[in-house]
Amino acid sequence: MTGPLVQVEHLVKHFPLTRSALEYVRGDPPRAIHAVDDVSFQISSGETLGLIGESGSGKTTLGWLVARLHDTTGGRILFDGHDVTALRGNALRRWRREVQVVFQDPVGSLDPRLTAWQIVGEPIRAQEAVERTELRRRVAELLPSVGLPPDCLDQHPHEFSGGGRQRLSLARALSLHPRLIVLDEPTSALDVAVQAQILNRLVELQREFGFSYLLITHNVGAVRFLSDRVAVMYLGKLAEVGPVVGVLERPLHPYTKALLAAMPVPDVRRRRARYRISGEVPTLIHPPPGCRFASRCPFVIDRCRVEEPLLRALPGNPDHLVSCHRAEELEDVSPDAMITSEPSQTP
Amino acid sequence: MEPLLRVSHLTLDYETKGGRVRALRDVSFTMHEGRVLGIVGETGCGKSTLGHAIARLVPEPPARVHAGRIEFRGNDLLKLPKWKMPAIRGTGIGMIFQEPINSLNPAYRIYDQVAEAVRIRRLREAGKNPTATFGQEGFDYSRPRMPTTSEILSKPLRPSLGRRGVASLVSSKELRKEVLDFLRLVRINDPETILDLYPHELSGGMRQRIMIAIALSGRPSLLIADEPTSALDVTIQAQVLTLMKELMDEVRTSILFISHDLAVIAEMTDDVGVMYAGRIVEFGPVAEVFESPRHPYTKALLRSIPNRRKAEGALPSLPGSVPNLLRLPTGCVFHPRCPLVREACKEPPGPELVMGTDTGSVGGHLAACYFSNEVKALP
Repeated sequence: MTGPLVQVEHLVKHFPLTRSALEYVRGDPPRAIHAVDDVSFQISSGETLGLIGESGSGKTTLGWLVARLHDTTGGRILFDGHDVTALRGNALRRWRREVQVVFQDPVGSLDPRLTAWQIVGEPIRAQEAVERTELRRRVAELLPSVGLPPDCLDQHPHEFSGGGRQRLSLARALSLHPRLIVLDEPTSALDVAVQAQILNRLVELQREFGFSYLLITHNVGAVRFLSDRVAVMYLGKLAEVGPVVGVLERPLHPYTKALLAAMPVPDVRRRRARYRISGEVPTLIHPPPGCRFASRCPFVIDRCRVEEPLLRALPGNPDHLVSCHRAEELEDVSPDAMITSEPSQTP
Repeated sequence: MEPLLRVSHLTLDYETKGGRVRALRDVSFTMHEGRVLGIVGETGCGKSTLGHAIARLVPEPPARVHAGRIEFRGNDLLKLPKWKMPAIRGTGIGMIFQEPINSLNPAYRIYDQVAEAVRIRRLREAGKNPTATFGQEGFDYSRPRMPTTSEILSKPLRPSLGRRGVASLVSSKELRKEVLDFLRLVRINDPETILDLYPHELSGGMRQRIMIAIALSGRPSLLIADEPTSALDVTIQAQVLTLMKELMDEVRTSILFISHDLAVIAEMTDDVGVMYAGRIVEFGPVAEVFESPRHPYTKALLRSIPNRRKAEGALPSLPGSVPNLLRLPTGCVFHPRCPLVREACKEPPGPELVMGTDTGSVGGHLAACYFSNEVKALP
C-alpha cells in the first residue's frame, strides 16, 4: 500500500478582479476573489470524499482544481505520489486519462450537435487513435453499464430525459477508466426517483472498477449514501473533515450543524421548526479576519473575530478534524439547537 | 362553509405539432380558507400547469381546457371572460414564482414594484374600476376581436379616477409607509435602503422576499407558491421557509404550495396532493399521506429519498421513468411501474380518487388505486 491516491496540500485559488482606471491611478492593491484558501485533504484509492457547502463556498472551484481545469495560485496536488500541479502539454493530456469530471449541468455540458456515441467517445479519441467503427463498438459496450440502451448511439442529447443526460455524462467520464471521478452535483437537477437510480449505479460502478469519487453536492442524503469521508466547506476553507458517520451524526463545527439543520427532512413533526441562522454567505473579495463563519455563528466569541481557527483534531478522535475555537465546548450541541419552535424575535 | 377554491374534473391539454400533450387529467380537489395545500410530484407531472391554470396564466393556445370547473369563492373562473381575470389576480389570487429574477422587472426599483401592487389593491378597495391595472387597460392578447367604435366611446380605456387621479386615493407618503410595512413583514432589515435598489443588486434570498412582499401586498385570499424556494441555497431556503411559516401564523392566507421536494411539502403544508402524469393519485392530510401512504407511487417516492449509507445496501428505487404525456398508458397511468399491478389496472378508464375501505382509513385520505389496501404491506 502506497500513500493516498490524491493528496492536496495548502491549495489556494484566487481569481483576480480587474482594477478600474481610478483604482490603478490611485495605486490600490489588486483585489481578488479568494475562492479556495489553504485547503488540504486526501482521497484514498476506492474511497469517496463528499464535499458539502453552499453556493459560493468554493466547492466547485476546488473540484476543478483537482481535475486541473483551473490553474492553482498556490499549494500543490499530488496524484499517486507525483506532483501534477505544474503538468503541461502532452504530460497533462496523458494525465487527464486518470481524472474525469461529471459536470453539474447535464444540458450545458453535452454538445447539442453531437450524437451519443460522439459525446461518450470523445475522451477516447482525445487519448488514442481509434477507428470510427471500433469507437462505436466500445461506446456501445459502455452504455449498458450506466443503464442506457446500446441502441441510442445515434441520438442527440435533447432526445434524452434529464436522468438520461446525466447517465450520458457519466458514461463519458467512465470511457477512459479513470482512477478519480469528480462528481459535481451529479443529482441536483434530477427528481428523487431518478436520483436514487443514479446513486445506486454510482455505488455499483465503484464496487466494480474501484474508482475514487470526489462528490461535490449540497444534498446531505446523497453524501451520506455515497461517501466514506466528508469535508464541509465554507467561504473557501474547510470547516470540518472526517468520516461520514462522525461528521453527519455528531458534527463539531457550528456551520456543519447549521447546514444539517437547514436540510428539510420529510418529517411532518418539523412543522413548528423555525430556522435560527440569519444572514447570507459574505463576499469572498475581502474575507473577514478570524473565523469566516463568525458573522453568522450563534456561538461567536471575541476570539473568533480576531484569530483564525486552524483545522485540528479533538482529543480521542484523530480522524475527525474541525476548525473551530470552541469545538470542545460545542461538542454536545445538536444540530437541532439551530432550529427553534419559538417565533423569531426579529421585528 | 363554502370552500375557498374547488377544482373539479379539470382536464387540460397542450396542442402541439407532435400531438396532444395530456397535461392535466380529471383533477379535483377542494381547498378551505386558512389551509395550506401542497402539490408534489416529479418534473413534468403537471403541478406547475395546475398552479398556473388556476390563475388562468396558462397560454391558450397551445393549452386548451376541455372540461372541468375552477370555482374560486363560488365563481367559475373558466366561465369568466379572460379580460376580467386581472381583477382577480393580485388581490384575489396572488402568485409567487420559482425564479424571482425572472419575475421582477429589472428596469424598476424595488419601491415601484411593491408600490404598484399596493396601489392596485387600494384602487380596488376604493371601488374604482376594478379591472384596471394602474393607469392603463390590461392588455389582453386573447381578446377575440377589436372593440367596435361604439364600445370604445361608451367605455373609457383609462379608468376614471376623478379629477386628481390616483393622488386622491393614495398619498405618496402613505404609499411609502405601507410599502415599508410590507418589506418589514418579510423581515428585511433596513428597508429604506432596499427601496431604491434594482433587483440585480439583491441576493436570491432577498429577491424571493421581495416577491413574497409583492404577493402579500395585494392581500390575496389565495396565494399560489410555485416552487418558491427551489432556486435558493439550503440555508437561504430554510430562512425563506421559516419566514413563510411565520407569515402563515400572522396573515392567515390560504396557500397552494407547489414543490417537487417531499421534505419541503412535509414541513409546510396541512394537506397534500401527490401528482403523477397529470393526475392526482393521492390526496389527504399531510401526516396521513407521509406516514401511511395509500398509493404505491407515493410509497415508492418516499422510499427513494436517500437516508442510508452505501454499506447498508442499495437505495430502493422505482424502475422505469415517467410516461410520455403524448402516449399515456391505458387504465391506471402508473401501472407499467407498479409493484401491485394486475390485469384490472390496465383496463380503461382506470381507478378514481376514492376513500379507502379498510379499517383505520382516515376521512379525507383519498387514493386512486384499486389495491390501496395492499400498499401498507409493500416493503
